[in-house]
Amino acid sequence: MRRWTDFFILIAVLAAMIVLFGLMRDSFFSMGTLGTVANRIPALALVATGMTLVMVTGGIDLSVGSLLGFCGAVTGVLMADLHWGLALAVLASVAVGALIGSTTGAVSVKLRLPSFIVSLGMLEIARGLAFLTTNSQTKYIGADIEALGAPFGGLVISPAFVISLLVVAAGQVMLSQMAIGRHLIAIGANREAALVSGLSVDRPRIFAHALLGALTGLAAVFNCSRLGSADPNAGTGFELGAIAAVVVGGTSLMGGRGSVVKSFMGVLIIATLEAGLIQVGATEPVKRVVTGLVIVAAVLADTWRRK
Amino acid sequence: MKSLANEFFQTMAEGAKKHQAAHAGDYELLVNGIKNETDLAEQVGLVDQMVSQGVQAIVIAPADSKALVTVLKRAKEAGVLVINIDNKLDADTLKQAGLSIPFVGPDNRAGAKAVGEVLAKKLKAGDEVAIIEGVTTAFNGQKRKAGFEDAMNAAGMKIVASQSGQWEMEKANGVAAGILAANPNVKALLCANDNMALGAAAAVQGAGKAGQVQIIGFDNIAALKPLLADGRVLATCDQHGDKLAVFGIEAALKVLKDKTTPADQQTPVDVVVK
Repeated sequence: MRRWTDFFILIAVLAAMIVLFGLMRDSFFSMGTLGTVANRIPALALVATGMTLVMVTGGIDLSVGSLLGFCGAVTGVLMADLHWGLALAVLASVAVGALIGSTTGAVSVKLRLPSFIVSLGMLEIARGLAFLTTNSQTKYIGADIEALGAPFGGLVISPAFVISLLVVAAGQVMLSQMAIGRHLIAIGANREAALVSGLSVDRPRIFAHALLGALTGLAAVFNCSRLGSADPNAGTGFELGAIAAVVVGGTSLMGGRGSVVKSFMGVLIIATLEAGLIQVGATEPVKRVVTGLVIVAAVLADTWRRK
Repeated sequence: MKSLANEFFQTMAEGAKKHQAAHAGDYELLVNGIKNETDLAEQVGLVDQMVSQGVQAIVIAPADSKALVTVLKRAKEAGVLVINIDNKLDADTLKQAGLSIPFVGPDNRAGAKAVGEVLAKKLKAGDEVAIIEGVTTAFNGQKRKAGFEDAMNAAGMKIVASQSGQWEMEKANGVAAGILAANPNVKALLCANDNMALGAAAAVQGAGKAGQVQIIGFDNIAALKPLLADGRVLATCDQHGDKLAVFGIEAALKVLKDKTTPADQQTPVDVVVK
């Protein structure tokens, strides 16, 4: 029953935010707003799904923002300069993401280094690679990629949005219904106990990092599709939004507890907050202060309820 | 240099390297940039290193118009000629430090005003417009915003929103989408750089308002060309990024050769349409 209470609280927070912004600005209740939020969601939802799997094991990956920039850069160069088709470019971006993610995972797991530090190093490496790949230039891709992020059938929903919902659903099934998911949670809850009971504790963790990398690669393509171009600076600070969404959704930073669907609720809350603050005309300093306060308040509320 | 991660400064550095290659007998060139545009401490360190390496002149695009003054004073006292490019050092701070450093560069405000005037011709008095600003602490960003305001106020437009897109495409995309949703009558988005104009163009398309909202940018980067060609972006401003550092270098060489006192020098800005 506990999980339904958590879920209800997240929905209540989201509803309260929507009502509050709606009262402050009439135009908040519009298709335009829905479109803005729906646009922001796919990339954040994909990365938050992967991040949840890494964080339930007690790990973290700070490099996803830079990786988003690097995979986008790869997509941009392949499509704009080398004229690859979309399908191949998606495969390449996902493969590059998985490769970088598994490298971060393998180095941290096999060499017994904290993933915080290894991924901090990767944050620098991936950003450097993004600049190298594009020679620090924004790449304009255009119509070849835009369809993926554009609404279809007169709705506000894009193919990217649908795919991201499917990934969230699959991630939730994997975490709560499948052996690998329970395995990841067991590792996060008590690594020694998992080890003693004969579970492999290395490979699942590397797998989680690789999956996060692959999802970040896909998120990078979605990001490019929304903008029609690839910017090597894309995703600066993106890791903070993704981690905030996961934490707001109640996943423990210590591992052992987490839910992909609740992370998705966190994504909705973060995306609505961003859209709302822009629409009420909040200045940059106010936006930052409010966003920070909301994150801390969410974690605080979660901790209190568990005491 | 400021961040070599930014296309604009990369172009500037490449222009300078080409110039040096063509005048290899006249001077040697060291190009140094910082990791991100707000890393002031790193740029201060670079200036100190350059001075201790014994360079004759430093041509600098300061990451901050005030915070670099102290270290540049040290450089001048060590006998190094300092020329300021791109981002103008704050006049009051220079005065307080008792320092005179010539600025060789474009007038961002005049450039933004000129692009704004091209836009004003496409609108009618009373139309609603919105500005997407750069990083709010950046001097050139402030000047561009002021230039946009000059042009819009002169033509009687109503500026209904002005928010920062942090110089970034994705941030500007979110801000533009929000502005369009909150102000359905907005007829134009004035963006303080081209990356943000690209983000704004995607937002206009996303809102189903293609052709109804004019966009202008600043910098004339290569990625903007297709959008200028099909009219999604109306105009931008070229401050000749590839020559900006070269202008500074040429000014420095002239002073070193002729032993003259350096003076401020304005470099050209051109409006680019289609």
